[in-house]
Amino acid sequence: MATERTPLIRLAKRTEMKRSSMWMIRVGSILIALILGCLPMILTGNNPVSAYGVIIQGSLSRPVYLKQTIRTAIPLLGCALAIAPCFKMKFWNIGAEGQITMGAVAATYFALFWYNKIPHVPLLIIMAFTAAIAGGLWALIPAFFKAKFNTNETLFTLMMNYIAIGIVAWLQGGPWEGRKGSQLIPMFNDNARLPTVFGVNCGWIIALVLVVLMYIYMNKTKQGYEIAVVGDSVNTARYAGMNVGWIIMRTMFISGAISGIVGFIIVSGANFTLYSGVADGVGFTSITVAWLSQLNSFAMIVISMILAVLEKGSNTLQTRMSVPASIADIITGILLFCMLSCEFFINYKLIFRRKGNNKKERS
Amino acid sequence: MKKLFSVLMVLMLLTGFVFASGAGEEATPSDPNTVKVALLCIGDENDQGYTYNFIRGRDEATEMLAAEGITVDWVTKYNIGEDATCTDANIEAAEEGCQIIINNSYGFEPFMLEVVDEYPDIEFISCTNCASAFDGRENTHNAFANIYEGRYIAGIVAGMKLQEMIDNGEIAPEEAIIGYVGAYSFAEVISGFTSYYLGAKSVCPSVTMKVSFVGSWSDATAESDAALALADQGCVMISQHSDNTTPATAAQQRGVYHTGYNNDMTGIAPNASLISTRIDWAIYFYEAIKAYVNGEEIPQDWCKGMAEGAVVMTPLNEAIAAPGTAEKIAEIEAALADGSLQVFDTSTFTVGGEPLTHAFALDTDGDFTADSEEAVYDGAFHESVFQSAPYFTVQIDGIEWLNAAY
Repeated sequence: MATERTPLIRLAKRTEMKRSSMWMIRVGSILIALILGCLPMILTGNNPVSAYGVIIQGSLSRPVYLKQTIRTAIPLLGCALAIAPCFKMKFWNIGAEGQITMGAVAATYFALFWYNKIPHVPLLIIMAFTAAIAGGLWALIPAFFKAKFNTNETLFTLMMNYIAIGIVAWLQGGPWEGRKGSQLIPMFNDNARLPTVFGVNCGWIIALVLVVLMYIYMNKTKQGYEIAVVGDSVNTARYAGMNVGWIIMRTMFISGAISGIVGFIIVSGANFTLYSGVADGVGFTSITVAWLSQLNSFAMIVISMILAVLEKGSNTLQTRMSVPASIADIITGILLFCMLSCEFFINYKLIFRRKGNNKKERS
Repeated sequence: MKKLFSVLMVLMLLTGFVFASGAGEEATPSDPNTVKVALLCIGDENDQGYTYNFIRGRDEATEMLAAEGITVDWVTKYNIGEDATCTDANIEAAEEGCQIIINNSYGFEPFMLEVVDEYPDIEFISCTNCASAFDGRENTHNAFANIYEGRYIAGIVAGMKLQEMIDNGEIAPEEAIIGYVGAYSFAEVISGFTSYYLGAKSVCPSVTMKVSFVGSWSDATAESDAALALADQGCVMISQHSDNTTPATAAQQRGVYHTGYNNDMTGIAPNASLISTRIDWAIYFYEAIKAYVNGEEIPQDWCKGMAEGAVVMTPLNEAIAAPGTAEKIAEIEAALADGSLQVFDTSTFTVGGEPLTHAFALDTDGDFTADSEEAVYDGAFHESVFQSAPYFTVQIDGIEWLNAAY
């Protein structure tokens, strides 16, 4: 007979929880985050109330700001949609950054060298199509090795990012460079730029269409079901006669293709040129978007907008209150941390050691 | 549970409202003698080099203008990338009521030009670049200074030191080698190190130079590594066209000499750094902002030199400089000011063994190769005459490019 102290706090998986309490925890976590976020602002001698005010105003209060915020949200939403099926399949694709970049490279090739040979709309369609293929093929490489040799997809996709970024850095200083030594690829001709609808590049329409398509794909199709089964248990999938390797490769190609389209939207709709930082962390931030929205396509619209508000708003925060950029990043980090950790409390409950019950018998 | 939930919800909405009404919007100042100016920077003052030099110019210009009753309300944004974040920063500054927006880095210009047509009443300035001056728009401007004059003098200081070492028998004449840390093989850099080399050669005829490009305007580690490697290859004098002070500390570490750019570096490398040259942006900021307040045009393409104080030398490190350097600097400054001395005098250098007789200055058809305006006349290459940004891209004899990949 051995006795062991019960730990002060124990974790237990929650069995069920009311929707209302789930949302209460979520709202509560945002409140806590907002309160915690005051600390760095107070430490730097700023009034947190006006600082939050500036974030809201700087992202939503004027048409120009709202447009910029939406422009920031588009790639986040698109890329979150791209990685959702991979994550559903428990294939940890953290290579969206590189897939976006390769899509952008393909689109840029046509924008730079074919803009005067192909009319506007066909050119844009070709750019989008080749961007999708390029992003898809880039994603297919780690998927192939995963399917054939069971390589670690997390490391593989991550490393592929740096290769893609390196390729752009080489293009920037080499064959596609504008003025010699400038390291800048020339700006796109108007012919290769996405038209705007309501003042924002029409990438937002593409993204919203993708939301609906991805929802249908994941919830209403056989392929979506296969992805869910592989995610839950590879062995079950095998037993059911599914070709797991094929499903992995197919899903990654689709994921990479959507990321490639996001890359096309970024270069053709927002930046109008290509540089090595084209993905700008979108491939990573969108993982947060996908996770926070529980891989639900429609929730991603809301979450990507919230993150875009934070990003654009903290920019204005810098301008108006001369807050260092790092402070704005800290606040964003606190918010994300609280929002993500609240999902933990939704899934697990804490059990505290009670008095008189701190010994338990063990045989 | 439900009750608590609704209480939380109301709390959140309330905080939202409080926050949203907490900050007042700022508007364009109504006082005609107050002007709101944005300065968008690629780095921050911690670089102690490029951006720090702009901040200094900003503060000096503010004082000069205050003395004339003009108040400048600055909005300074740091660490902006040469990418779409620059477009956003320009929009932001314009929306926040800035009347003049100054972009401090070369690579900002294309992104700035994406914005300018939306705000015809706002003056946009791209420092060190060259497209705004010729784009036909009224509200876009370029500015630079004849930094090659300052580099020529820094080269003379370096050359005199090298000649002193030769005369003292510390090095043989052929060991007078300068190592130059350059950012990219870009006109501004080529023009800079060529003028520097010509300055050194004018007082130390046996000098040669090795140039190492680091592939970044600002990469403290790469700049240091390049300087160390150059010293290890026998360079006894280091100079730089990059944003950090690490080449100076590297030179000190290897026991060789150094001349700097953007900032006085004798403080951090007292045994190595002889002198630096820098652009005094206060001169331009003062002129441009004053012109704006007086309702005059800001020049489309501003370029001034040493004679006007736009290019200055930092204090000479008398403890280690060769004797007579200060007098020589004064003599050359005077000669440059009255035009009796041309930095790119074609009788002082050769290209492939031949004298330079022809070079174009401007690119007019957009293929990024100069195709018009002959820059070689009256026995010299005339730099920064046809546009403020440098356009000297010739590889002259005596300068070895170690890596032209960048």
